[in-house]
This record gives sequence, structure tokens and C-alpha cells, in this order.
Amino acid sequence: MSPEVLAAALDAEHAAIFAYGPIGVRLDTASAGDARQAEAGHRARRDALVLRLTELGATPPPAAPSYTLPYPVTDRAAALKLATEVEERTAAVWRAALPETTEADRATALAALTDCAVRATRWRRRAGVSPATVPFPGRVA
Amino acid sequence: MRPLRRRTGEGAAPAPDPLAPLLAEALSLAGQHEAAITAFPVLADRLAPVAAAHREHATALTKLVRTPEPSGSASPDPSASPSPPGGDAKGTLAALRGAEQKGLKSATQACQAAPAERAALLGSIAAARATHLEVVR
Repeated sequence: MSPEVLAAALDAEHAAIFAYGPIGVRLDTASAGDARQAEAGHRARRDALVLRLTELGATPPPAAPSYTLPYPVTDRAAALKLATEVEERTAAVWRAALPETTEADRATALAALTDCAVRATRWRRRAGVSPATVPFPGRVA
Repeated sequence: MRPLRRRTGEGAAPAPDPLAPLLAEALSLAGQHEAAITAFPVLADRLAPVAAAHREHATALTKLVRTPEPSGSASPDPSASPSPPGGDAKGTLAALRGAEQKGLKSATQACQAAPAERAALLGSIAAARATHLEVVR
């Protein structure tokens, strides 16, 4: 297995963790709780990836000091939209890792893809987006 | 005395594709959601996208499965004659959740065991089934 796909997943997790900062401050109390849980999930994936890449003899890519958001997160609607997109993007990276991995790494990639897909669905529901599900989570159209 | 051994060379029937059960399950799940919508039209908004997703999964799996299932095989398309759900809408949703949970497990196992070229599709199918549990309630 090439460490590159896991490094790409780590980059995506760094970016997701960053994005949940500006997202969280624009959300209502209930949604902000979900955002904190989502961020914790991404931090756990990040930590596991750092360990795994080190184990493989690769240098885990560090987080950038800052990430460019695709649009300003000025209100709840923008925050929910960005949260959905963050999960969709992270899902796509983990999906791309599936063919490149086997055994425990495959299981990790699949669990991560599934978690991202479920969170994306929850954010769509909060935003009132219908349908809240997509047929092929992580597949880039 | 020579040990008895199943012949695997020429003339042996081809092994069924490991994805055949997953394809049958996708069709079954689609049929169950469609039957629930027929019985409880009030659930259509919630269940129609889920039923459509299972149909799309079945289409994608059909393209991958090596040998198409011969007609009259052991697993007929359950959507052809879906059994009407018994009880009320609440019980129907609970039954659908159980079916999705079972489907999530089998898709996860299929993805875990799959060769590289099938892993991404099977991963998306497993993830989709997990998201269905968020809306089928």
C-alpha cells in the first residue's frame, strides 16, 4: 500500500478540522453540538493517520497554518452548507483510498467514508435539504 | 485410492460472482421500500430517494457481476412481487431499518473482501446504507 493515499486523507482531515472552527460559531446550539462531535471525529482520524503514516516510515504532512474557505461563513445557512461540503469532500478522499488499501487500512477507510457520509446527511437534514441522502457517497460526479 | 476431488477445470460450472447476493439484496431493499410507499403513501417523501438509491446500486452491481443470473434462479427479483408490509407505518419503518442494518453489514463485508477495482463502489453502497438509517425513522 502506498502511503500517498493516507497522506491525502490526512490533508483532508486537517482541512476539515480547520473548517469546523468558523462553522461552529455560526450554528445554533443543537447544531453546534453536532459540529463539535464532527470535529472530534476528524481529530481522531487525523491522530490515527499520523500514527499509521509514521508506522509506515512516511512523514505525515502537517496542517497548514490556514485554509482558504470557498465562501465567507457569515450565517447559519452558509455554515450548514460548508459543513455538508466538508464532509462530502472528506468522503471522496477516503473513498479514493479504498482501492489502494487492504485489511485494517481498508476497514479504516470504509469506516471514515461511512462516518463522513452520515454526517453529510445529518447536515443536509439540519439545512432542510431534500433528499438528505445521495446514492453514492464519496463519488465525485 | 485417489482422493475424491471436485473438478475445477473445464466443464465445471463457473463459481457464482461474490457480488450476486449483494445485488439480490439491493433489489430486495428497493422492493421493500417501494412496497412500504404503496402501503403508506405518507412515507413517500422519506423513502422514495432511498428506494431509488437501491435501484441505482443494483444497476451498478449488475454491470460488475460476471455472469448474469439465469432466469428462474434461486433468487428471483423480490421487487416483482413485494410482500405487503403488515402492521402500521411505525412497524414498517422499524422493519425497513432492520433490513438496512443487515444490508449495511453485508455491504461492509463485501467491500472489505473486494478486489481493488470493486472497493470504491462497494464502499459507497455501504456508506449509502448507513445514511439510510438516518432518514428511515
